[in-house]
Amino acid sequence: MARFHQLSVTDVQKTIRDAVVVSLKPVNGGDFDFIQGQYLTFRQDFDGIEVRRSYSICSGKDDGILQVGIKKVDGGAFSTWANETLATGMVVEAMEPAGSFHTPITPTEGKNYLGFAGGSGITPVLSILRTVLGREADSTFTLVYANRGVNSIMFREELEDLKNRYMQRLTVIHILESDAQDIDLFTGRIDADKCKALFSNWIDIESIDTSFICGPEPMMLAIAAALRDHGLTDDRIKFELFASAQPGRLKRKASSADTGTQAKSTEATITMDGSARSFTMDKDQTILDAALENALDAPFACKAGVCSTCKCRVLEGEVEMIANHALEDYEVEQGYVLSCQSFPVSDRVVVDYDQ
Amino acid sequence: MSDEMNIDDYLAQGGRLTNPANVPSRYRGEIMKIMATFVDSELAAAAGFADVINAGPGIKERIAAARIVLEKTDNADKVLRLMGEFGANTDQYVNHHPWTDRLHRDTPAGTTRSAHDMRISVLNYPLDGWADAVVMNMLMGLAVGIQLSEFLRCSYQPFAEAIREVAPREQRHTELAIEGIEKLIAQGETEQINQSVAYWWPRVSESFGIGATSRSKALARMGLRTTSNADLHDQWSTKAGETLKGLGLMPPA
Repeated sequence: MARFHQLSVTDVQKTIRDAVVVSLKPVNGGDFDFIQGQYLTFRQDFDGIEVRRSYSICSGKDDGILQVGIKKVDGGAFSTWANETLATGMVVEAMEPAGSFHTPITPTEGKNYLGFAGGSGITPVLSILRTVLGREADSTFTLVYANRGVNSIMFREELEDLKNRYMQRLTVIHILESDAQDIDLFTGRIDADKCKALFSNWIDIESIDTSFICGPEPMMLAIAAALRDHGLTDDRIKFELFASAQPGRLKRKASSADTGTQAKSTEATITMDGSARSFTMDKDQTILDAALENALDAPFACKAGVCSTCKCRVLEGEVEMIANHALEDYEVEQGYVLSCQSFPVSDRVVVDYDQ
Repeated sequence: MSDEMNIDDYLAQGGRLTNPANVPSRYRGEIMKIMATFVDSELAAAAGFADVINAGPGIKERIAAARIVLEKTDNADKVLRLMGEFGANTDQYVNHHPWTDRLHRDTPAGTTRSAHDMRISVLNYPLDGWADAVVMNMLMGLAVGIQLSEFLRCSYQPFAEAIREVAPREQRHTELAIEGIEKLIAQGETEQINQSVAYWWPRVSESFGIGATSRSKALARMGLRTTSNADLHDQWSTKAGETLKGLGLMPPA
C-alpha cells in the first residue's frame, strides 16, 4: 500500500558537481529500517503535478544513518529540485524502503561478491558493499565502477576510505570512458568485450557467489550476458535498473465526448452497500477517486485496471474507461467498468458498486 | 553503445525490471495481471483446501492439508506484497473476494474465469471429499510446477525471486498429493481416484487457456512469457500422464 511518511532533511552534501547525498530522519513513524540495496520512493508536488521518483539508499546498515544519493538528470524535475533547492531542515515525503536488490547476510560464511555500477548506479551497490564487508568478516567484494571521467565518480573518497579499511577484502576497478588510465583495459565502456577481458585476467567468475549490477540498460544487458556465458546462473545475478528509464506520468486520452457538454463537472450518484449518494465530481477524476473522496468505502486494489476489485456497473450516463486488463467483453457490454480507470463523459452518471 | 536505450528494446533483449518506478504502464498492467492471477489462485486454492482439512482420514493427512493451506496463503502474501508496491491495497484485496466461492460441481469444464477475481479457471470447481482433493492437488500441482518454471524467467525480477522461494514449496505439495494417492490406492480407493482424475483432468487441462497469438507475442517481447500456453499444456499432459502411470493409473484418453 502506498503510504507516505514525512522525513526531515538533516544534511545535504554535494558529492560531485551534479549529485547530492541527502541524509534523512523519519518524523512521524514508518519503518525505515532498510535492507542494504533498497530504495525510497519520494513524492513531491511541482506546479500541481505530483511527481514520484525512487532513489537508492547509499548508506550501509551499520552507518546509523539513512542516506540517498540523487544525481541530477537533464530535465528531471525531482532530481534538479533535490540538487538545487533541497536543504537541511526541509521535510520530504517518502514510502518505506522497498526493493529486492540484496541477498541475506551470513556473518559466519565468507562469500565473494562482484558488483558492477555505472554512474549513479553506485548508490545501492555502495550500501551493499558497506554492509556485507561490515557484517561478513570473511567476505570479499570486487567493485567494477564505470564513469565518464574522474570528475564524475560519485563517492570516490568514500570508496578510497573503504579500500583502506578493508584492504584485503575490497577491490575497486574504475573503468573510465574518457580519462586514460595506466592499464588500457580500464579505459572505455563496459561492454561484452570488456567483460570478457576482465573475466579472463582480473576476476575469477567461478569464485563469485553473487553479482550485483546497477547501471544503464545496455551495460546491464552486456554484463549479465557475459556473466551467464561464464557460468553464473540467473539466481546469482541481481539487477537494479536505475532511474534513466522511469516513465513519465501517463496522459489521459482526450475523450471524444459525443454525449455530454463542455461542462467540467458531472452529477454523480453512487450506490454502495445498499445506499445511494449524490455529489458533483470533476470530469478529470476517476469514478473511484471521486467515491473515495466522498467518504464512500469503495473497494479497490491495484488501481491499474487489473485486479477488478473496483468493478462497478454504470446504470445511467456514460464513462470512458481508459484501461481494462481484467473485465471480459461480455461484462463491458453489460455496463461494468473498472472505476479506477473510468472518467465521466456525460453530465450525469449513476453507478452501482453492489451489482 | 549509448547509455540510452528504449525500455522496450531492453526488455526484448532479456533485460530485467526491478521496481514499480521503472516499469512502463503497459508492462505494469500485464505484470499486475500475472501477479493477481497468482495471488488469487493461491488464495482460492488455500480456501478450497481449508474446507477439506477435516475430511482427512488421519492426523497425518490433516497436517498435510493444513500445511498446504498455510503455505499457499503465505505464497499469496509474498506476491501480494509486490502488488502492494504498485499501489494495491493489500488489506482490502484479501478480504474483498469470497475465495471459497465455487461453481456447481456439475458445471462443464471451461476456461471462463469467475467474474470476481483472477484465479485460474480450475479453481472455480468445488472439491468433493478427501480423495477428490488429493487428486486435484496432484494434477493441479503438476500444472503449477510447469507454470512456475515459466515465471522463474519473468523479466520482473522481484516476482521471479518470489517464485524462486515459492516453487520448492509447491513442489512439496505435489509430492504430498502423490503420497496421498499411493496411500488411497493401498486402501482400495482406486475407483474413486479414477473418477476424480476423469473429473479434474479436463478442468486442469483447460486452465492453461488458449492464448491469442498477438498477446503471447506482446508478452514475450516484454519478457513476461517465453513458452506458449499450448507448449506448457503439452508439458503438463505428458508429465501428468507419466505420473498417473507411475501410480498404476490410466490417464484419460
